[in-house]
Amino acid sequence: MRRAILAITGLAASTSALVVLKGSPGAGQLAQGLPADQASVAPAPGGVTPTPPSASASGRTPAARPTAGASRTPGARTSTSARPTAAAKTTTSAPKPTLRTVSGPDVTYEYGTLHVQITLSGTRIVNATGIGLPQSGQSGQRSDDVQSTYSGTSGEVVQKQSANLNTVSGATATSDVYQRSLQAAIDRAG
Amino acid sequence: MTYQDTYAAGRRTGTSSPYGGRSAVSVPPAPALPRRGPGGRRALSALFWLGLVASVLPWSLDTPAGSLTDTADVLTAAGRITGLVAGYLLLVQVLMMSRLGALERWLGGERISRLHRDVGATLLVAVLTHMSLLVVAYAEVDEQSVAGEVGVLLRDYEDMVSAFAAAGVMVLVGVTGVRAIRTALPYELWYHLHLTSYAALLLGFGHQFSNGAQLFPPGPVRTGWIGAYLLVLVALGWGRLVAPLRFNLRYRLRVADVVAETPDTISIYLTGVRLNQIDMLGGQYFRWRFLARGCWWQSHPFSLSAAANGRWLRLTVKVVGAHTADLCDLDPGTRVWAEGPSGTFTAAHRTRERALLIAGGSGIAPLRAMLEELPPDAALIYRARTPADVLLHHELDWLAQARRTSVWYVIGSRDDAGPRQVMSPEGLRRLVPDVARRDVYLCGPSGLVEESVRVLRAAGVPRRQIHLATFEL
Repeated sequence: MRRAILAITGLAASTSALVVLKGSPGAGQLAQGLPADQASVAPAPGGVTPTPPSASASGRTPAARPTAGASRTPGARTSTSARPTAAAKTTTSAPKPTLRTVSGPDVTYEYGTLHVQITLSGTRIVNATGIGLPQSGQSGQRSDDVQSTYSGTSGEVVQKQSANLNTVSGATATSDVYQRSLQAAIDRAG
Repeated sequence: MTYQDTYAAGRRTGTSSPYGGRSAVSVPPAPALPRRGPGGRRALSALFWLGLVASVLPWSLDTPAGSLTDTADVLTAAGRITGLVAGYLLLVQVLMMSRLGALERWLGGERISRLHRDVGATLLVAVLTHMSLLVVAYAEVDEQSVAGEVGVLLRDYEDMVSAFAAAGVMVLVGVTGVRAIRTALPYELWYHLHLTSYAALLLGFGHQFSNGAQLFPPGPVRTGWIGAYLLVLVALGWGRLVAPLRFNLRYRLRVADVVAETPDTISIYLTGVRLNQIDMLGGQYFRWRFLARGCWWQSHPFSLSAAANGRWLRLTVKVVGAHTADLCDLDPGTRVWAEGPSGTFTAAHRTRERALLIAGGSGIAPLRAMLEELPPDAALIYRARTPADVLLHHELDWLAQARRTSVWYVIGSRDDAGPRQVMSPEGLRRLVPDVARRDVYLCGPSGLVEESVRVLRAAGVPRRQIHLATFEL
């Protein structure tokens, strides 16, 4: 029995230690990691979460709830034991990161003009998309390649959290321009 | 001759037995067993901790530092960690009960059942923590009351109904496992409740993959977790079905004879085929199922009371209950289903060259078998309440001579002068001056065993040199 109590204490202690370790904002904030929607609870395949995938960039995490205030009802608020703690926390600690969108400058090149738009949660890029990529013919196909490799909630931009990406083969020019606009967007987001 | 005389006479080294038995002269002492170190046990322990780390690692890798920003995040993270730990511990629990030969030989039944109890308590706490943390965290995110969130989970999430059922089963099993409650229940009820923990394994399976953040996306983590489940199922099938089937088809044990040793103790002799090939050690036990009317549905662990001799097996049993009373009436030829051998209470698990054996009542049985495999110069202290309770006394006298063993019979109740004097640190040191440098094997009623451990520790015997086999109560 003594060992069981030790084990339970150990479990509690190490769980708290892990959470504290991961919870402390530190150098690794922009570190490579999986996008937020994979790190949070994956919704059941049956389509439980009503939001489309692109909007549920942070899944269940409260950060991704832009309309939270509207749906909050006072009755629900008082009935949850954890609610007061959360409310207290938001006023005292660092502000909750909210989603914001930053666009890079338009860059014109031989196949057209494009710019990159990134979505950030705090300082973390959770989504990216290229706008104005060539749509037709050969170059349209190439730009689709670029878009599918770089953009999206699980694209290379989100994975690497930087503008230092691998060039898409066969679409060197588009890749280059995408990265230039992306770098500018990241700089703007600061 | 009374056994008081025997006790008064003290050391019995070298006395020849006047009571027949086997001749001590012509039997050369068999070489002592080579030692088996604690390597197997340590490997299993390392494997356990590695597995624990490996089961939490996916969470750690998926969670970037600094990403837990508010209460709900923190609660969710803690809920996930406890969930992963609980999932892993459940597999460990089932694996420990799989009767896998390697586990039974390296850890031994006594240690396994103690570990099973301790891990079980931890598992129960982990599951309850996992549930409550995640319900509160999700309620926070969904702007729901806690009760309302439970409803949402049951209604909208796949496999959550069965997961809640699994938690209920685990609570039931855990609560009935508490010693005070367990002793108040009939054994059969407790046993069948405990069997439902397999249902918990199956019911809890689905929600880990349909809702678990780390296990939902296909990849090495998901595959590995499913692999662990399969591994445990295979171990269960092997240990509980295949291995016993092979053993019994190979050796075909039957009752040869039932002999009364004392008015309330019997020895059951078993024969079979290829008995010289059984890989077993003195001091180990089998779980026996005697396929006779009224006995076949019960399986009980009994130690062998003689080392392997290639011709017969023997178990010596004290008649204490209805089942053991039925065993007195076994007919020769009755088939026997045996599972084993199990246990680390053997001469091979000694850490020193010499040993002290302390037996209480019918606890002599495994020690008697072990004596044949210990190196010479062992010592045996045999506690019995009355002279009539002394078992196998001719064989002990024979072994005393053949293997240069000192045997003391200490007769009387716990509070008599003789036993009190012997069962004290000074008394032990006087009988066995080098007791602190010996392995001590204890077998008997739990009262005697606990008392002896206390005395031995006081006499300076390190804990790892004390080997226990307590009677199951």
